[in-house]
Amino acid sequence: MDYARFVRLRRPVWDDFERRLAGSPRDKSLSHAGLEEMALHYRQVLHDHALAAARYPGTAAAQRLQVLALRGTHRLTRDRGEGAGIRHFFTRTFPRAFRAQLGMTGITTALFLFATFWGLAVAANRPSLGLAFLGPEAIQGLEEGRMWTESLVSTVPPSISSSAIATNNISVALTAWSGGILAGIVPLYVVLLNGMMLGSIIGITMRYSMAGELLEFVSAHGPLEISLILVSAAAGLSIGRALVAAGDRPRSLALRDAGRDALAVLLGCVPWFVVLALVEVFISPSPDLPAALKVVLGLSLEVLFLLMAIQPFSRNAHD
Amino acid sequence: MSELQRESILGLDNIRLDLPVAGVGSRVLAALIDYLVMGVAAFLWIFLWALLFSGQGTWAVALLIVGFFLLEWGYFAGQEIFLGGRTLGKMALKLRVLTAEGGTPGAGALFARNLVRSLDVVFGIPLLAIDPLSRRLGDRLAGTLVVHDREREAAPILGRVPPGWTARELALVESLLVRSRVLDDQALVWQMADRVLARIRLDAPELLAGIDTRSDPMAALRQALQVEEG
Repeated sequence: MDYARFVRLRRPVWDDFERRLAGSPRDKSLSHAGLEEMALHYRQVLHDHALAAARYPGTAAAQRLQVLALRGTHRLTRDRGEGAGIRHFFTRTFPRAFRAQLGMTGITTALFLFATFWGLAVAANRPSLGLAFLGPEAIQGLEEGRMWTESLVSTVPPSISSSAIATNNISVALTAWSGGILAGIVPLYVVLLNGMMLGSIIGITMRYSMAGELLEFVSAHGPLEISLILVSAAAGLSIGRALVAAGDRPRSLALRDAGRDALAVLLGCVPWFVVLALVEVFISPSPDLPAALKVVLGLSLEVLFLLMAIQPFSRNAHD
Repeated sequence: MSELQRESILGLDNIRLDLPVAGVGSRVLAALIDYLVMGVAAFLWIFLWALLFSGQGTWAVALLIVGFFLLEWGYFAGQEIFLGGRTLGKMALKLRVLTAEGGTPGAGALFARNLVRSLDVVFGIPLLAIDPLSRRLGDRLAGTLVVHDREREAAPILGRVPPGWTARELALVESLLVRSRVLDDQALVWQMADRVLARIRLDAPELLAGIDTRSDPMAALRQALQVEEG
C-alpha cells in the first residue's frame, strides 16, 4: 500500500485512539462498550504499528504509531497481582506466601539458634564482649543490680519509646528483607548478628545473676519479635535464592515472583511490629505485672501470629 | 526519539514494541531531584510539626518520628503508586516506571522496587550503567523498567507521495517539513526544498502540474505533496 493512502485510511482510528488515551485512566464513565472499542482500536494500532515499522520505518506515521502502541500498552495492560483488599491479603495472599517459604523460615530459625548458643558460649568465656554489646553504662547498671531496660520508661516517655522501637524494628525487618537482593547476604548477617547478640546478652546477664530479669523483660514481646525478624529475613533469603538458583526459569522472572511473595510476607509482618512496640514499652518493663502474665501474653501473641500466618482451619488459604 | 536506548518486547499478537529505556544520566538526575524534594519535605515536616504540635506532649514527638519514617520509606513508593509510576523527579524528566512487558505496574511491584532503594544508593549507579536495560536492583526485583514518557510531536501528514519512494526518502521529506518551521536560514530551507522538488519532477512530474515552484519552493513542496498539519 502507498504510504499516503495508508495514512489517509488509518488515521481516523489513530486519532480516535489518541483521543481515548487522553482521557483519565480512572474515568468511571467509560462504559463496557467504550472499553471494548478502545481495546479493538488498540489492537488495530498495534497491527498498524507493526506494518509501519516494517514498511515505513522512521516516518512520522511509524513514530506516531510507536508512541500510541506504547501508551496503549501502558494504559490497557496492568500488573494486578493477586487480588485487592486487606481481607483478601490477610486471609489468602499472606498465608499462601508464608507457607511457601516455611522451609526458608526453618533455615533462618536454625541459624538464629546456632548463633544464640554461640553468643552464649562466647559471652561465658569472654566477659569483655558484654561491654561491646551493651556499653559501659548498662554493665555498671548490672553490677549495681539494675537492668538497662528500666530506662525504656524511666528516661524516655512511652509514646516516644514505642514509636522509636516500632520504626527501628520495622527498619531492621526491611533491611533484612531488602538485603536479600544481594544474594541473601544481608538477611544472613541480620539473623546471625541478632542471634549472637541475644545469646551474648543472656550470657552476660547470667554472669550478674540477672538472666531471670532479662527473660522476664523479653517474655512478652521477644518471641514474636524474633519470629517476625526471622520471617522477614527468610523472605529476604527467598529473594537471594531466586537470584542465585533460579532453576529452569529466566532469572528475572524467578526474581520477580520471589519478590512478590516475599513482599506479601513482609507486609503481613509489619502490623505486628506496631503491636509489639506497644507491648515492649507498656507491658515488658512494668514491675507491677506478674512474670507469668507476660509469658502468657508473649506465647499468645506468637500463637495468634502463627494461626493468622498458616490459617490451618481455613479452606480459602489453601486454595 | 531514535537516539534513545531501546528495548524490544513482544506485545499483544507477538507484535514487537520498542521501549525507550531511560539511561543512567536521566535516572540519576531524576533521583537527585527527588532526594532534594525529600529534603525539603523533611524540613517542611519539622516546620509544620513545630507550628502545630510542638509542646503538645510526648505523642507529638512520636508523631515526628513516625512522620520521618513514612517519608524515608514511603516517599518514592507512595508517589509512584499514586502518580502512575512517576515521582516528581521522574515527572520533571518525563520518565515513567513500566512493567517489563510495557504495562502499568501494580502497587506491590512499585513498593518492592523502592524498598531496596537504600541498597541501590550504593549498587544502583554501576548497575544502571552496565545493564543494557538500565535496571537497578529494585527494577530487577519488581520486574520493572523506567522509560522516557514522551508525547507525540506534531508531524505533517503527506496527502500523496511519488510512487516508489522509500521510507527513508519519506522520512527525510517529513523531517524537512518539520524543521523548516524552526530553521532560521530560509535560503538553506529553499535550497533543500528545491532538491526535493527536482526529485519529484523526475519521479512523478504530474504532482507538480500547475504549481509555481520558483517563488516559494517550500510552499510548492507542501502543495505538491498535499501536506496537512498533524
